[in-house]
Amino acid sequence: MLLLQNARIASENSPVLLEGDVLIVEGKIQDIGSNLAIPEGARVIDARGRVLMPGMFDAHVHFRAPGFENKETITTGSEAAINGGITGVVMMPNTRPALDSATSVATVLENAKDRARIPVYTSGCVTKNREGKELAEIEGMRELGVKMLTDDGDTTSDPAVLLRAMQYATEFGMFFASHCEVPELAGPRAVNEGVMSYRLGIKGSPACAEEIIIDRDIRLARAAGAHVHIQHVSSKLGMETIRWWKSRGDVKVTAEVAPHHLLFTDEHIGDYDTNYKMNPPLRTQADCDALLEGLIEGVFDLIATDHAPHTPFEKAQDFISAPNGITGLDTALVTLHHFFVEPGKFGWDLVVKRYSAEPRRLMGLPVAAIEVGQQANCVLFNTEAETTFTKDFMKSKSQNTPFIDQTLKGRVDLVILGAEILLER
Amino acid sequence: MARKDLLDIASLHREEIEFLLDQSTSFKKLFTHSVKKIPALEGKSVLMLFYEASTRTHSSFEVAAKRLSAEVTNFDVAHSSITKGESVRETIETLQAMRTDYIVVRHSHPGLPGMIARQTTAAVINAGDGAHEHPTQALLDAFTIREKFPDPKGKKVLIIGDILHSRVARSTSTLLQKLGIEVAYLGPGSLVPKYVPESIRRFTDYEAAMAWAPDVVYLLRVQMERQDVQFFPSVREYHRVYGITTARLAEISDLGLYIMHPGPVNRGVELCDAVMDYERSLITNQVENGISVRMAVLDWLTPGGEFPRQESIYAARQRASSPVSIP
Repeated sequence: MLLLQNARIASENSPVLLEGDVLIVEGKIQDIGSNLAIPEGARVIDARGRVLMPGMFDAHVHFRAPGFENKETITTGSEAAINGGITGVVMMPNTRPALDSATSVATVLENAKDRARIPVYTSGCVTKNREGKELAEIEGMRELGVKMLTDDGDTTSDPAVLLRAMQYATEFGMFFASHCEVPELAGPRAVNEGVMSYRLGIKGSPACAEEIIIDRDIRLARAAGAHVHIQHVSSKLGMETIRWWKSRGDVKVTAEVAPHHLLFTDEHIGDYDTNYKMNPPLRTQADCDALLEGLIEGVFDLIATDHAPHTPFEKAQDFISAPNGITGLDTALVTLHHFFVEPGKFGWDLVVKRYSAEPRRLMGLPVAAIEVGQQANCVLFNTEAETTFTKDFMKSKSQNTPFIDQTLKGRVDLVILGAEILLER
Repeated sequence: MARKDLLDIASLHREEIEFLLDQSTSFKKLFTHSVKKIPALEGKSVLMLFYEASTRTHSSFEVAAKRLSAEVTNFDVAHSSITKGESVRETIETLQAMRTDYIVVRHSHPGLPGMIARQTTAAVINAGDGAHEHPTQALLDAFTIREKFPDPKGKKVLIIGDILHSRVARSTSTLLQKLGIEVAYLGPGSLVPKYVPESIRRFTDYEAAMAWAPDVVYLLRVQMERQDVQFFPSVREYHRVYGITTARLAEISDLGLYIMHPGPVNRGVELCDAVMDYERSLITNQVENGISVRMAVLDWLTPGGEFPRQESIYAARQRASSPVSIP
């Protein structure tokens, strides 16, 4: 039994934080109100001034298992999630072997049950070994609960293959997530084409390489009657393309944006800092501004980190040789608070909606909420404390993030899932 | 004013550039002496680390180092453990253990010499990194121009060709602008990036570029080896539209313009054969000046300092990283 007193409760439906006590009994929220009586034997936590919100859900993470356990494992990845206030994730299937069959998905899900303290879901490949040629064993994966199909990390190049996959899998109630990129236009996939790519002497990846596939895949989904989810959008015109298609209303399209695309521009790469090397690449301030506008407006249904761990050795190579991606689970919620909620760019309701409720809806899962009768699935967030992202703080196996050793405002104090307190600081 | 490394032109101050050009003048005078060697770098070791093929830059650095009495070692990339999959970083750790004083490095990856410089106490000279920078080429270009125009401020240099893949264009244009020289680019639309700095004029038409009245026409080598896709229909068409044809050479000759080229020249592509005999062609001057400029650079840099602790460059960089700015 746990009684949280005087918490400021966040909900996706209200910009106002309602203050109250929350009583959790046997992993369920039993009562919410002011000045609740303290039941006998209950642990009482004074949550005054702190924000109580549902646990976040990240629909785009790379846990690297199987095949790249030197970067991350299901255990370290899920601990990084808990560390950041995230209580559920969807893994991407670009592992080795790729998750393109019932066998490989079953192995991962079994491992996840044993090794993770939070629900870990996985997406499955569209095509065998993500090669874009033959369809993966789609129905077998569906039987195991896979909802999302993606060749993440690579676009399914052949539109005919993707269209067939959409026509086939939509019958099973599955949807498609698209990493959008024309590889022939994208160069070494590291730097936005612009002033910075000229200065660094790296063939830039133009935003149109991404925008063309955003448009293509939505058109294919429309033709197939499928649901397409556009991953990690980085460009203004990409956002506007999605906005336009959504306004037509004749195709089911959802989209996500990553915190790093809201926060950083190609200028941050500076002197070849590989912590800013990611795909799609960081673009310009105008793109960041448009993405923020799209998030607030609802063009982006969800926030997802694209948590992409890489070993220090890999990231310490030169810029061209280093792999793309940064970690995000340990840092996301504090980052969203520090850069957006605290300065008043958006409220906690948006964070809850876009990083907790909508991702769960996308995956067909029950939405977590601080409501009577709900399973306890919540995070207590301290808006006055600070977090320093030291190497010791991070639970991810890799520390490839621009936030390493940075101090930001906000701290995840408590993470509760059911009857278990997953984290307390 | 001493530096450990020469990685780019962008970070050089004008005073440093003037100093290096003046020093180059002194070293060039040495070439007329019967004994061309001085003991400036006696007992020092220079390692030549060329991951890309090179004739003139490699031999120019080698001659420069030897004239300063340094010991030169050529790291044989083709027969090294690199062919066994050793990374550049591992190679550098091995080389660092050998305590070389100078490393002259060329690599196809931009930024790689900088990465090496952060990992070693040796003075690192960037001898060309991808399409990023080639600082000694820029210095020798500026030196060559200054020989013809002692006060180059206000002069105009038209750089023609494959800007997209050219480290020479980036370094030389940056340096010339630091000396007050105006720079313009001319090339096929597919080979001139849309986002060149605003300070550089951009022409797409040869006649319009010549109407700008340049003092020097600087032709870039068409680097077919860097072009993974087709950027123009044929070399014949390129020569006709952007090359110095026989007819254009006559016009250039009448105007008294100088012609430069970093070499090696693709005859019949960037320029017609007759350019090689043109009296205001500075192409061989550039090669000759390369040695004195590189002597000045080697003599200027100061290797050494604390031997780096045995920690990853990643950790070092993380410690040194500046705070994340709030957008």
